[in-house]
This record gives sequence, structure tokens and C-alpha cells, in this order.
Amino acid sequence: MSHSGGREPSVSLSLLDATMVGIGAMIGAGIFVLTGLAVDISGPAALVAFALNGGVTTFTALSYAELASAIPRNGGGYAYVREVFSAPVAFVMGWTRWFTYMIAGSLYALGFASNFLEWGHIYGITLPGQPVLYALGAVVALVALNGLSTEASGRGETVITIVKIAILAVFVVFGLTATRVNEFDPLFTKGPLSLLPAMGLTFIAFQGYDLIATVTEEVENPQVNIPRAILLSVLVTVVVYLFVVFVAIGTLGAEELAGAGETAIAQAAEGFMPSFPIIGTGASLIAFGAVFSTISALNAVVIGSSRVAFAMGRERQLPARLGRFHHRYGTPLVAIMASAVVMLIAVVVVPIRIVGNLASLFSLLGFIIVNYALIRLRRRQPDLQRPFEVPFYPVTPILGIVCNALLGLFIDPFTWILAIGWLLFGGVVYLALSRRGDIGPSGPPEIQEPEPIQTTDTDD
Amino acid sequence: MPKPVTQDLRVIIGGGGEMGVRTAELLSDRGHDVVIVESDPDRCNELSEKYVATIIEGDASRPEKLRQAQPERSDVVAALTDDETTNFAICMAAQRMSDARTVMRINETPDELYEEFVDGLVFPERLGARAATNEIEVSGVRTIEDIGGNVEVVEVEVADDAPVAGKRLDEVRLPRGSLIIVDYHGNRLGGPDTLLEAGHRYVLAVESNVADEVMNLFRG
Repeated sequence: MSHSGGREPSVSLSLLDATMVGIGAMIGAGIFVLTGLAVDISGPAALVAFALNGGVTTFTALSYAELASAIPRNGGGYAYVREVFSAPVAFVMGWTRWFTYMIAGSLYALGFASNFLEWGHIYGITLPGQPVLYALGAVVALVALNGLSTEASGRGETVITIVKIAILAVFVVFGLTATRVNEFDPLFTKGPLSLLPAMGLTFIAFQGYDLIATVTEEVENPQVNIPRAILLSVLVTVVVYLFVVFVAIGTLGAEELAGAGETAIAQAAEGFMPSFPIIGTGASLIAFGAVFSTISALNAVVIGSSRVAFAMGRERQLPARLGRFHHRYGTPLVAIMASAVVMLIAVVVVPIRIVGNLASLFSLLGFIIVNYALIRLRRRQPDLQRPFEVPFYPVTPILGIVCNALLGLFIDPFTWILAIGWLLFGGVVYLALSRRGDIGPSGPPEIQEPEPIQTTDTDD
Repeated sequence: MPKPVTQDLRVIIGGGGEMGVRTAELLSDRGHDVVIVESDPDRCNELSEKYVATIIEGDASRPEKLRQAQPERSDVVAALTDDETTNFAICMAAQRMSDARTVMRINETPDELYEEFVDGLVFPERLGARAATNEIEVSGVRTIEDIGGNVEVVEVEVADDAPVAGKRLDEVRLPRGSLIIVDYHGNRLGGPDTLLEAGHRYVLAVESNVADEVMNLFRG
């Protein structure tokens, strides 16, 4: 990051590294935590829900790719929207992005806790205490880690992500031999319309690629590699998800998978995985994968959420203190702590399904704004250099807006009430801060009315 | 009125030549957001590969192109093309559209009245002359930067028979208004145990009224 004091020429991430940053954020918690819940809503058709979500995400991913290639800014989606819209719109974007990451954090923390206990079960150990306590512990540990030292490099992330993919590959390879295709017949046990809420719930699983845009300055040949990394990571993620969900439904059956909730993948693995030396049963390998993935995803969103708050602080959209590094630790400590508080509250108060829905809803809202930003930027800055251009403009971004809006509408009313509550709270915060002069330039910028340019009087 | 300086600036640079790009790179390294307006399409492609700024293709002195860079949202508009008239036009247009600070590159002895129209002047030839002087007068003293006002940052080589040669900094008394910043190799900031060795170079900040005295101590 340039804010941390200049470009480091030695830190250069290849296309593979950049792609892995995106895949790492997307493959991980979502697949382990949300598969069971999605199957509960729509039966075997959950597979279709994941496939369609992949398609919907691609529209927005294309918009991201164009924006990232044209606007060299750290801060991801928030930075692009800040470039295109007035301060209040950018505030809404930042506020919802921030919340999405925090909520995703609590989702991953809860997923971690369930899978951690499940992992213990496989070895016959019943760990004491409520899952919530483990979730809280995980959040506190990772916040402390990120607050006290600078984050691990992108290369570390590459290794972690490859391990995750490898574990899932093992799951798929063994699972494909045991998959019974008749589990998918009938496909729509809960009606075709049940797809939409399932899509809404699982949409959050596909929103991690915008983390790629937050490391732009460290990527080699960024204006080519970032759009590629964004699109590649979405493609790989969709393929992996489809295989994993296919195997999970095909081996365990929709009924049981739905009953297993957030530990669904681990339970599916118990049915067909052979035993390995040292690790024990194959199921424990998958359970370990789930624990490992949820923790690394939690780490990613702790960084992601603090970066958004940090960027908003730098832009004076939140108090400037959020946009400063701590003098001793060299980390955006205030931004991290602020994010941690909301994550902890969400872990304790909000049930996991609501948490998933909320995160997805805010993702969808954010993506609508991003697609609209693309259209607006094309109109207002036609001569902007765009090394990557969205194909079939304006159809693609409009489809992105329509699909995201449609999915948003099928998220349940209670989630909407919570979401509107958070937005209203944001509005109050914004007004209070701008009235106190904590944010924004001091006073609205005075823009002179253009004076009529004196020309020779030809009218008379 | 110029806006108060916020933490991160949004800067528009008119002209993506060497000067515009180097400026953009320095600004980007310091965390600012930069937009470059450049008229040559080939040059635009090159700039875009550098990925330090948003690039708008077009002549910045045309209001329609300048507007795409959004001066009304920017803190500074810097006109850095090699054409003085173009630069003046960019600054004037920018002032009509916004309250951004304007910085203009000039090529000749500045017109006395420029200061009434633009907020800052850049005169590369004068900076170049200083660099040339430094290169010509290889040993001894070289100016690194005028910090405006009467403080200058200079690099001085300690002469063999200079009063301070071979002394530690806590053994010498530099005049008030001078400060050793760093030794030439850039390894250490000045402190009480800094040794002033003959033949080595040090970077100093000096107020102009004590510059003589400091030169005396270092050069003998």
C-alpha cells in the first residue's frame, strides 16, 4: 500500500498470486458454511442456485475488472465509487461494504466454531462450552493478530489457498465415485421459486474478488493482470463450488445435508472418505479443511473491513482517526477495533442464517452501485483510458443491476428491516459527523458559478 | 480560495510528458490520487501501463476534456505541459470550474503578474540550472532543496582541515538555525554520536543567516 510509506519494488505479486487472493476469499468459508443452509431452502436445486449466482456475479465482476483497469486506487469497490459519485453515495457504499465484511466475519467465525466442534467429534472429543464462545475467541485472536502486526504477504495467502483447494479436490475426487445421480431427481423438491432465496443467501460466497482490487499496487503489470485475476478467480471459484456442492448432495442426499447446517460438507465426507495415516478418517481432513478455511477467510475479512474503514477515514467520510496508523504498531488499529466491535456483537446477537442473508443483501446493494458507477463513468468520462472494457456494454452492467436487484428482493423482510436499520444508523452517523465537522471538507466546497464568457455579440 | 489541505489530495495533472509522469509517480507514492490528461494516444497507452494515475485522453486546455477529470472534486490542478500558453489556459479553465489550487509550469522568466492568476509556479529551467551547478561544482556544497522561506537543505562535504573534521556532533557547536539531518550514505540520522569525518557528505538544513557560519565549520 502506498500509505504505508512508498512502493516496495520487491513485493510484486504475479497473476497467480493476485488470482489466489480473490479465490482465497471466496473459496473457504462460504462453501463450508452455506451449502447445508442453501440445500435446506431449495433442495437439490441448490446446485442450480450456485451456478446462477456464479453467472450473476460475473456481470459485476466484469464491471469491477473495467474499473480496476482504469482507476489505480487502493480500497477496492469503495474507491471506485468514491471516484464516480458524490460524497453521500460513496458513504453508503463504504458503509455497506464495511458492514458486509464485518458480517461476513461473524458468519465465518460462527462457521469456524461449528466445524471446530465437529472436528473434535470426529476424534471422539466433546469440547466444552457453547459454539458462540469459540467464535468470539476466533474473532478476538485474529483482531489481536492484525492489530498488533502488519498483515501477512500475498504469497502466504497463495499457499493457504492452494491447501484449501487441494483439500476440496480430495473431497471431490473421492466423492465423485460415491455420488448417486438419483439424488438430483427430482431436482426442484421445493419448487423452482425456492431458488431465489437460496441464491440470495449464498450470494455472499462470491463477493471476495474485490479484495484483489485492494492490493493493486503490489501486482505486476496491474492494468492487465488485475482484470484477469478478477475474472479468473470468479471462474475457478464457480467451478470448484459446483463440483463440491454436486458431490455433497450426491453422496449425503439433500435431506441429511440440510439437517447438518453449517457442518454439511464435513458430514458428507464422513460417508465416503477413506482413512488416511496420521490424520485418521478422511472426514477429519475435510473438517480440518473447514476449520482452516473459515479461519483464513475470517482473517481476510478482518483485513478487508479495516481497509474500508481506513479508506473512509482517509477520505474524511468517517472520523480521520480511522484513517491513521497506530504510532506503535503501524497498523490501522482504530479501524480494526471498530470493525471488531460490530463483528463481536453480530456473533452474539444474530442467528447464522440472518447473518448470511444480511451480508448477501449488502453485497447485492454494493454491486448494484458498482454496476451503475460503470455506466455513469462511461457517460461522464468518455475519454478515460480503459485497458479492459466490459463486452456488450450497456447490456452487461444493466443485467448486473437487474439480477442483483431481483435477488435482493427475495431476501426475507426481516433482513431488509435490519439492513434499513443499519443504513438509517449510517445516515444519523453521517449527519452527526458532518455537523460536528469531523468529516468532509470544512464547509461545502464553494463552486463558482461559471461566469458568462464574453464573446462578440452576434445575437444582436 | 484554495481548499484546506486534506490528508489525501486529488490532483489533476495536465500533460503526461516526463515531468507530468514523474510528478504523478511521486504523488502516488505519497498516497495521493492523480488524474493525468494527455492528448497523445500512444503516450496514453504508455502511461496507462505505469498504473500510477487515471488517464484521460484529450487536450487539457479544452474545457470539455478538463471537465472529465472533475476539477470540482480536486484539490489541485497542475498544468505541466511544455507549452506555457496551454498551461495558462488550463489553469484559467480550472479556476472557472472549481476552487482547486492551480500550479503552472513556465518556460521563460516568469511574467510578474502570473502570481495574481495562479497559485503556484514551476520553473523547470531554474531547477535545471541548480542541478547543473551542483554537477559542475562536484565537490563541496550542493543545494538539495529550497524549502521556501529562508531555509535551505544542502549537502556538504567535510573538508580535510575543517574545524569539525573528526569530531563527534556533541563536541561541536553548530549555530542555532542549523541541523544535521543525515549522512550522505543515508544510513543514519544525525544525533549526538554522529561522527563528522573528513571527506564524507552530510545533509543539513540551514537558515540562510547562519549558512556562512556552517560552511565555515564544514569547509574550513
